[in-house]
Amino acid sequence: MVGKGEESMSELFQWLEAIRDRGEYVHDQLSHATPVFALSRPEGILLVGVGLGQSKIFEIYDRHALAALGNPVDIEKIRQTAIEAAHLEGFNRSPQDVTMRRLMSYSLSPALKTSFESVFQPPLIVEGVFTEVGETPEDDILMEFTHDGNFGVVHDGLAVVSSNTAAATQAKDWLRQRLKPHSNRNRVLGLLLAMWQAMANGERIGNSTKSAQLDTVDLGGRVLEMALLDRKTPHKVKYQALAGDA
Amino acid sequence: MNPSTAPQPRMDGDFLSLLPEHPLSRVLASNPQALAGHQIEATTVLAFHYNKGVLMAGDHRATADNLIFSDRVEKILPLDSDSLMAIAGSPAVALEMARTLETSFEFYRRSQLQTMSLQAKTRALSQLLKENIPMVMQGIGTVVPIFAGVDYSLPKPAPTIHFYDPLGAQFETANFASSGSGSGNVKSILAFQERWGSPAPHAMDLKQATTFALRLLTTAAQFDSATGGVDPRVNRYASVYSLSPGEVRKITDEEQAQWWGKEKKA
Repeated sequence: MVGKGEESMSELFQWLEAIRDRGEYVHDQLSHATPVFALSRPEGILLVGVGLGQSKIFEIYDRHALAALGNPVDIEKIRQTAIEAAHLEGFNRSPQDVTMRRLMSYSLSPALKTSFESVFQPPLIVEGVFTEVGETPEDDILMEFTHDGNFGVVHDGLAVVSSNTAAATQAKDWLRQRLKPHSNRNRVLGLLLAMWQAMANGERIGNSTKSAQLDTVDLGGRVLEMALLDRKTPHKVKYQALAGDA
Repeated sequence: MNPSTAPQPRMDGDFLSLLPEHPLSRVLASNPQALAGHQIEATTVLAFHYNKGVLMAGDHRATADNLIFSDRVEKILPLDSDSLMAIAGSPAVALEMARTLETSFEFYRRSQLQTMSLQAKTRALSQLLKENIPMVMQGIGTVVPIFAGVDYSLPKPAPTIHFYDPLGAQFETANFASSGSGSGNVKSILAFQERWGSPAPHAMDLKQATTFALRLLTTAAQFDSATGGVDPRVNRYASVYSLSPGEVRKITDEEQAQWWGKEKKA
């Protein structure tokens, strides 16, 4: 006869097993997705991804944007959750009260964690970076998040989001050595797309890796999605889709 | 569950259907008695076509009966990059309507990844006015707005002017619209100028149109005690905005002063 304590232990073990399996399943699904980038610059925050057009880079609120990768339906769910939470907060209080920290801590992260741990529901296959533009690059907030609700602030103004964390770290190091505040937009884009190509093709990233040529870069039949949270604009809406975004 | 009390499915991109799920907000005052007593209202706001789009202007005065409540009220409100609203009537209700529309338009654009059509925008304002009918019937909280928005369904996108009655009926106007207690005088001058003026308002450039709007508001204030807060002779200027496809532009007090001064010298 199995005691009540042993039954509970068994259920707990099964739950932990299920969580571990879900983690592996989500990781496997995300390994097919290509990276997205967010970069704090003097003129604002630049967000870059490669997708099907309006599939990776999104406006969330006046000063907020999202770059995400994963299952399109799941990206859509987290995007809608963020937009609803931001607009309700902005309407009920004020647009200044819509902050990345509160959105992430009280709306998005709990939603992702609950979804991940609800073992009888399919998990959300999505990761990305939420951004909030400030008065200066030092005031910018970039928050990377993972499918299980974990999130962290990026302190050096450069986010490279990919399920392949080792490649993302290499790409960040490579970019950090080459990106300068005065680099022009094409130079920045060439460097980001070089990393996109290397990571998408599983190539080794090193000193021999060259910046991509914008007119000849192979995006695998997809389109460049790019937006700027424009720090300088006098308008309250800072998001500006840039050419290349379908 | 009784079908009439069953929750309605939420419409995609509709901010208003999201609000009841979060009862912290109050779209419109649910207790009109709370507004009993002195109502703050009266105004002159106007909109007309000039040669690059629509110019919308309003005075700054709010009155409560015979009292001047404020001479610093902003009555022209940009809702998004393609629409403007001029409010006349009770500011408590009108400002809340403008804020609700502003959030609704942006919510739709961001969540649906496309802008709301002009027809949907004018209808959204109609809907808010219809919801406000109980307040109107009690003689308080009446709002008679003017709306200007860019019609992208036209072969050449251009801004259009719409006016409303307090019950929510919406009409598009060919040339101009005015609302508020001082609107009678303004409409007469606009009609006269449109027919016999040289230049007619629709042929004016931005500077001429701005100066003309200042003259209209100053004249309205001369005959209507509830219109005021605008007098270029003593450096008090109006709320003036221009609307053209993709651009809402505020005409600053400095620009108004400069253009008014040139007009005076000419």
